[in-house]
Amino acid sequence: MKILVPLKRVADPDNANKVKIPASGATIETTGLEWKPNPFDEYALEAALRLTEDGKAPKVRAGEVVVVTFGPKETETTLRAALATGADRAIRVDAADDKLDGHLVARALKALVEREKPDLVLMGKQAVDGDSNQVGQILAEQLDYPMATFAATMKEEAGGLLVGREVDGGVITLRVKFPAVVTVDLRIVAPTSVYSMKTAPAFKYNDGVRFAALPAIMAAKKKPLAEVKLADLAADQGLRVTYHGFQAPPARKAGIKVKDVTDLVNRLKNEAKAL
Amino acid sequence: MSTQAQNRYKADLREIRFLLFEQFKLGSLLGQAPFDSWGTDEVNMVLDQAYKFVCDVLGPLNQSGDREGCRLENGQVHEPSGFKGAWDALYEAQYKTIATDPAHGGQGAPHMLQVITEEMITGANTAFSMYPGLAYGAAEVIQQFGTAAQKDRYLHAMMFGKYGGTMCLTEPHAGSDVGSSRSVAKKIGDGKYKITGTKIFISAGDHTMAENIVHLVLARVEGAPAGTKGLSLFIVPKFRVNDDGTVGARNDVNVGSIEHKMGINGSATCVLNFGENDDCIGELVGTTENMGMSQMFLLMNGARISVGVQGVAVASFAYLNALEYAKDRKQGAPMTSWKDPTVPRVAIIEHADVRRMLLEMKSKVEGIRALVMKLACHQDNVRFYRGKDDEKVAYHQGQVDLLVPLVKAYGSDQAFRVCELAIQTYGGAGYIKDYPVEQAARDAKVFSIYEGTNHIQAMDLVGRKLGQHGGKNLQAFVSDVATFVAQNDKHPVLGAAIKELGGAQEALAGMAMRLLMWFQTGRIALVPLAANRFLEMMSETAVAWLLLDGARIAVDALAALPAGEESARERAFYEGKKHAALFFARNVLPNVKKSAEILALEDQSPLDMPTDGFATV
Repeated sequence: MKILVPLKRVADPDNANKVKIPASGATIETTGLEWKPNPFDEYALEAALRLTEDGKAPKVRAGEVVVVTFGPKETETTLRAALATGADRAIRVDAADDKLDGHLVARALKALVEREKPDLVLMGKQAVDGDSNQVGQILAEQLDYPMATFAATMKEEAGGLLVGREVDGGVITLRVKFPAVVTVDLRIVAPTSVYSMKTAPAFKYNDGVRFAALPAIMAAKKKPLAEVKLADLAADQGLRVTYHGFQAPPARKAGIKVKDVTDLVNRLKNEAKAL
Repeated sequence: MSTQAQNRYKADLREIRFLLFEQFKLGSLLGQAPFDSWGTDEVNMVLDQAYKFVCDVLGPLNQSGDREGCRLENGQVHEPSGFKGAWDALYEAQYKTIATDPAHGGQGAPHMLQVITEEMITGANTAFSMYPGLAYGAAEVIQQFGTAAQKDRYLHAMMFGKYGGTMCLTEPHAGSDVGSSRSVAKKIGDGKYKITGTKIFISAGDHTMAENIVHLVLARVEGAPAGTKGLSLFIVPKFRVNDDGTVGARNDVNVGSIEHKMGINGSATCVLNFGENDDCIGELVGTTENMGMSQMFLLMNGARISVGVQGVAVASFAYLNALEYAKDRKQGAPMTSWKDPTVPRVAIIEHADVRRMLLEMKSKVEGIRALVMKLACHQDNVRFYRGKDDEKVAYHQGQVDLLVPLVKAYGSDQAFRVCELAIQTYGGAGYIKDYPVEQAARDAKVFSIYEGTNHIQAMDLVGRKLGQHGGKNLQAFVSDVATFVAQNDKHPVLGAAIKELGGAQEALAGMAMRLLMWFQTGRIALVPLAANRFLEMMSETAVAWLLLDGARIAVDALAALPAGEESARERAFYEGKKHAALFFARNVLPNVKKSAEILALEDQSPLDMPTDGFATV
């Protein structure tokens, strides 16, 4: 099975307070931020690795896991980390962070999918910076592929996957035929969430994503990492979303004490205009 | 507070990258033998991945391991819950063998990187780190001194987590005085011995994480001379190992009890009884008897460096947690309007005394980390120049030898003091077990005691290291500091502080001469009274030097930074380096001259004091 895993780097969500907006409000200041892979994308990579192995040690890859990201040269750090974790090959689509939106990324990914011909595109349900939650859906639409979003479980079958999707009030199980697009939710990395056809039904993975072993980190530099120009994938680089300005959420104002109920009603009516 | 396992460990990766690449120029060694497979990218990736690993795997078990502790049941020690999984994950990730020779399956990384990965492992979970730490130290002894058969049998298993390991020196009546050890080895032929004796305070002495544990035991072969000269070192496995490498019958090694300690409660500290049933079989390390102390010293040297690293690790943990709390906790009004009850309350980091404590912690944490890094840098240069330039190898090895007692003793002393300041920064909350710094203080206290107390380190420094190679190592150290002073004492920002360093260096050199004079004029009784203070003088001089050198780099970097918000973070970082160095130079470094004045008084009141005069009880 060949799986394409799109990855996005995001500002370290544990240090969200370091994200600053300059006085001009024209952009979000990104220099000096600690970057981390989007956690949902890491879960997608872990799921892709599980789908292409049998659970046994030492891990032997059956198939290929290709990771792709969009961004400047520095984003190769994210790709190298994915290679160290087990991906076989990486592609960086050279692009500036602020010249991308979900629709453009999906269009470029479509061209890449047509070139790479994976059986499956496996990606995070959303990136934790913009929380747009749309690239997977747009991509499936553009490709006219079957799609399952918010996957919590995946079981490989002949020519497809049985996907358990988390929805309000329960789990919906969908059968998707390859080639397909699947976006994953956080429970996809639970010990019994993903089974390839070769993995024993009783096998349990460690909870969470795997860690890169030191020898694999050293070997990651030798794995192929190709650079592709965004223009080669998307002739039209127009953006559907443009940003007009940024501002930090207003600081919370101190509350006031009201005299009595009449005062409260008056203020709700005349000041807050809530009544 | 949530009872769910939570990671409290954090590391300042920017500071670590500064030390590695900007101050100690790791880049100039990378890509060349013996570090050919290492480049900047690999180092950076290891930093990121190791940090992620320790935060996810080891950190969440730090508090739970402390609360649960170890237990002894039916002769078997059980480590805290979750440690076994962490052990397996650590050896799968292979961080313990990062600097090991590739011939033994390691990655051959520079020691400068290894001390950082070790700092992360220890900082995230000190008690846990004891088990793989001892296993690795014991493996290094076998790697260095073992026979080919012993290496075949034990080395790989101990390096990669299949076997654990320990070092067994201390006995009930033989602590710092190792030479009065009473454990006995009786030769039974074929390189084998029957061992009898009791060892105490054995860290990682028993657990269920590995399928076997290899004890390295100091014992006296029957008829060998008294004192340390007659001690030999033996490999004594918990389970005998068959010729095909499989684990066989239980050896006669039994856990008598485990200690209930102030800190590192997740680390099993055992009383081990060897040969209670006269059936404890050990084999000599190598083939020559009475070499035990010198063999054990290899392990102890590495272990002493590791204790210094433990000091940095826990101090850094305490500092960064206190810093986070100080930014978050609101209490009191700004100094300028302290009487006005209506002004908004400020975070306690706005208060001058909290800032003073934070800056003292920062300067000490970064200072002892720089000291550790300097030692590791010399170790890497020894490896780099070996076989190419004997003179350089001798210089760098000399500095390693000289710095080991400083790193161990000053690193561990200051670690405890930083933890104390961290608790003070929290105020009452710091004394409460919901917050992580009281555990840090308890865990850190042992660092000044084990692996040779800090007084033993001080005596090693003044008694052995100062005179090594005719005093050349010390001379080189003093002259390195003097060169730095001469080159930089007119620095526009740091000049005054660097002049203070020059004064400290002269006071240090003068005190070294006075020590020599005491030795030569039969006044040796004064030496142990002065040793600890001398070690502190030398450490403070070294730390101030390294901090000021870092500040010099930071000042240059500040001048090169573009103006504007884009470089605000970098500017703050370099300003931080500058101010930490200035703080240390102004508030701590003057102690060096003061100490020299105190020692010149040659006070010996502790010796003049009648023992019965200490108290009438």
